Amino acid sequence: MIHFQNVTKDFDNQTALKDISFSVDKGQMVFLTGPSGSGKTTLLKLIYLAERPDNGEIIIDGYDTSQIKDSGIPLVRRSIGIVFQDFRLLENRTVFENISIALRIRGIGEKETKTRTYDVLKNVNLRHKADSYPKRLSGGEQQRVVIARAIVPEPVILLADEPTGNLDPDTAEGVMNTFKNVHAKGTTILIATHNRELYRNTGNKVLRLDSGNLIGEEFGR
Amino acid sequence: MIAPYALKLAVQSLLKEKWINLLSVMTIGAGLLIISVSFFALYNIDIATKKLPKKFSMNVYLDNNLQQDRLDSIMDAIRKNRAVLSVRYISKDEAMKELKSYLKNSDYILEGLEENPLPDSLEIKLRKDATGRETAQQLAREALKIKGVAEVDYGENFLTTLTAIKKGFNAIGLVFAVILSTGIIFVCYSTVKILFYRRTEEIETFKLLGATKGFIRTPFLIEGAFIGACGGLLSLAGCFSLYYTVLLRLSVTMPVFKAVLFPANLFLPLPVIGMLLGLAGATIALGRIRY
Repeated sequence: MIHFQNVTKDFDNQTALKDISFSVDKGQMVFLTGPSGSGKTTLLKLIYLAERPDNGEIIIDGYDTSQIKDSGIPLVRRSIGIVFQDFRLLENRTVFENISIALRIRGIGEKETKTRTYDVLKNVNLRHKADSYPKRLSGGEQQRVVIARAIVPEPVILLADEPTGNLDPDTAEGVMNTFKNVHAKGTTILIATHNRELYRNTGNKVLRLDSGNLIGEEFGR
Repeated sequence: MIAPYALKLAVQSLLKEKWINLLSVMTIGAGLLIISVSFFALYNIDIATKKLPKKFSMNVYLDNNLQQDRLDSIMDAIRKNRAVLSVRYISKDEAMKELKSYLKNSDYILEGLEENPLPDSLEIKLRKDATGRETAQQLAREALKIKGVAEVDYGENFLTTLTAIKKGFNAIGLVFAVILSTGIIFVCYSTVKILFYRRTEEIETFKLLGATKGFIRTPFLIEGAFIGACGGLLSLAGCFSLYYTVLLRLSVTMPVFKAVLFPANLFLPLPVIGMLLGLAGATIALGRIRY
């Protein structure tokens, strides 16, 4: 589903990712770990085409990203759900609007948009907050809105960048349960985190990054 | 399904940024009003200049002592011309009588004349659609070729001045319209650009979620078109207000304004013109923004 082959990315002559190669199979849940500045976010950005590699080959859902023109990027992104580290919630729009926008962008009709948005709000226990604005929500609630927005279009791939950062253990567990439910439906998930508790004893693949190098591939034990 | 949502986004943005939009609408309205007033003036000048030639006639002066059959053949030859509406023979005596009546109390000027110096002449009226300088010139040239015609006076200076005035006003009107239309497009361009930059963060999020350029652009195009249309509507209201509150009142005290015509039908497309100019401004703005 996701295939990196000798991928390198530099920013102003500083190497962000160096000769990275790995694969994530369809339906797999993989964790990407490493200290801050190790290149986790850059790697995710390469997947959703916010950045292009300087060298190497990236294949997403069977498509070689080097062959995708700028006009084709929206179509690739529509198959990916993203949980951004900085949330990227629209402050002047309600929770409902923040989530439903992911469906509207895909041209889904009004009735279906409403049904699916309320369904996902129920799944993340935020049905009662549908008309609230993001600023009125706690950090955990905001995180769940971002997750709801990422999963509502039922993407093939789900990317999450530090989805439990700044969350208390109970809320983090709730977030992880949501991911597990999505994964159970067959979605390929890549979670970037430096929280070891998330992947400990899961048996899932863990990719370890350090200073832009992939220093290890193991399974969460 | 994108269109209704784009409309919703556009309406939300129009309401949220109401002051910028209101300012743009007023600026566009003022611009279109100036264009409309110029057009209104040009329209009335054109009507007035079209009415003038009705009073305009050509005078063909004849040789002295022409035989009746010669006179008839001259009149027939002139009548054959498509531009001629009527030909009236004015004998030298009749001409003198007309001159005396024109001079009224100043007819002492003519005292002492032993002989009537005025020639026999023909007064030619031209058709409404043939009062241009070129037509009159052509007819004068042809008349001069006829045996028995001494001189032709077709008010060359009058027609030349009239044509020049019309052309001048039309040119000024056109330049005015082009400059102000460009200004209106620029106002819409700037407004859409400002609105776009104020929503950069939102647009960036839309892009990351998979929005196409069409999805991002459509609300701004709607906004540009709406602002332009509102400006057009405002100028239309301005035109009607100016006519009914100013011109009609002025015509009571200044009868010259009674002759002014108000082509209401020609002003009705102003909102559509405004909408198209707004759309053009928005399209240029979105084409120049890198996103």
